[in-house]
Amino acid sequence: MHISEGVLSAPVLLAGAVLSLAGLTLGLKKIKNEDIPKVAVLSSAFFVASLIHVPIGPTSAHLILNGLIGMLLGWSAFPAIFVGLLLQALLFQFGGLTTLGINTFAMAMPGVLAYYLFRKMLNRERNIAFIGGALGGASAVLIGTLFVSLALFETEKSFIGVAVTLLTMHLPIAFIEGIITGFVVLYLKKVKPEALG
Amino acid sequence: MKRSFNPDNLLFVIPIIFFIQILSIFISSTADAHKVSAYAYREGYKILGECYFVDGSACKNSKVEVYNTKGDKILETLTDEKGKFSFTTKEKGELKIVIPAGEGHRAEYRIEGIKEQVERKEIKKEVLKEEKQSKSNQNYLDREELTKMIDEVMDLKLQGLRSEIMDLRKQMDRIGLRDIFGGIGYIFGIWGIIMLIKRKRNAS
Repeated sequence: MHISEGVLSAPVLLAGAVLSLAGLTLGLKKIKNEDIPKVAVLSSAFFVASLIHVPIGPTSAHLILNGLIGMLLGWSAFPAIFVGLLLQALLFQFGGLTTLGINTFAMAMPGVLAYYLFRKMLNRERNIAFIGGALGGASAVLIGTLFVSLALFETEKSFIGVAVTLLTMHLPIAFIEGIITGFVVLYLKKVKPEALG
Repeated sequence: MKRSFNPDNLLFVIPIIFFIQILSIFISSTADAHKVSAYAYREGYKILGECYFVDGSACKNSKVEVYNTKGDKILETLTDEKGKFSFTTKEKGELKIVIPAGEGHRAEYRIEGIKEQVERKEIKKEVLKEEKQSKSNQNYLDREELTKMIDEVMDLKLQGLRSEIMDLRKQMDRIGLRDIFGGIGYIFGIWGIIMLIKRKRNAS
């Protein structure tokens, strides 16, 4: 879900930029130095995930992984996703530089919400941790579609229409990401439990 | 301030990247992509163009909007099954072609004005008029037929070149492995700089 350049009006872009800037400063402040390698790797995971396309009917949607990033990083998901989006815009012309703010917010904020909603489940036993990861991964994608449709409301004039198309397009993605996030959580529990602590 | 760097930090994330990359090799080569690109060229007053996704697949039945230099919408058309579109316009200035592909996707392409070509045509017409006066009617007709024939032959010959240019454009838009690995490198670089700055701040 990238909003291209020239689709949105200036007030929407500005609002997105301001919200993202707030998230970015908060996220950068919260990062501890020893966590930076983790953030960098998740940042590049986000960057690559967008290239994995899942064909759905006539079009396709791509993986986002914002739930996984959000649950592992909390507010630091903002800078992680921002850097990923910046390079996607520069190298692949996905999205655009003017829409960086709104795209960052629409992708990172659902991740942060997933962090607050499901993070506690990740410390519990295996089954509950898997369900928590799956729910976080799936819900972050779906909340993201809602944010994007809200941003597009002004140009497309119909919130429900856009929201429904985006939601149906991303249901399979949410499902796949839920499973991926769940398994990553299980893997981390085995290999590096303190990353979930 | 704790400054210890635990190499284990990297251990757990490497499998994630590997997993994603293996997936990307399998999936991204077959599926449609979502970035839309447009390309168009002029043939006098006729404008021909094509709209396609990152992987080169056609952008079917998509709306095409044409704007003039003032920003007014001149006309609207649809792409066909192969993602191609064409229209004729009397507008001589620069044209902006916008393809709103919906859900926040959009492609833009600018076509230069027609000024030079028009001037040339006018000169041709004058020449033709003079010739018409001096030479017989039959000669003039021959000339017109000749230009028609040349046009046809040129069209045939240029078709190959045009499709080759189109293919090249599509290839340029495609994402290569170099871009992916380069991007990952840049991301690590950016975070390295952030880490350096943070360390310096903590030290002082």
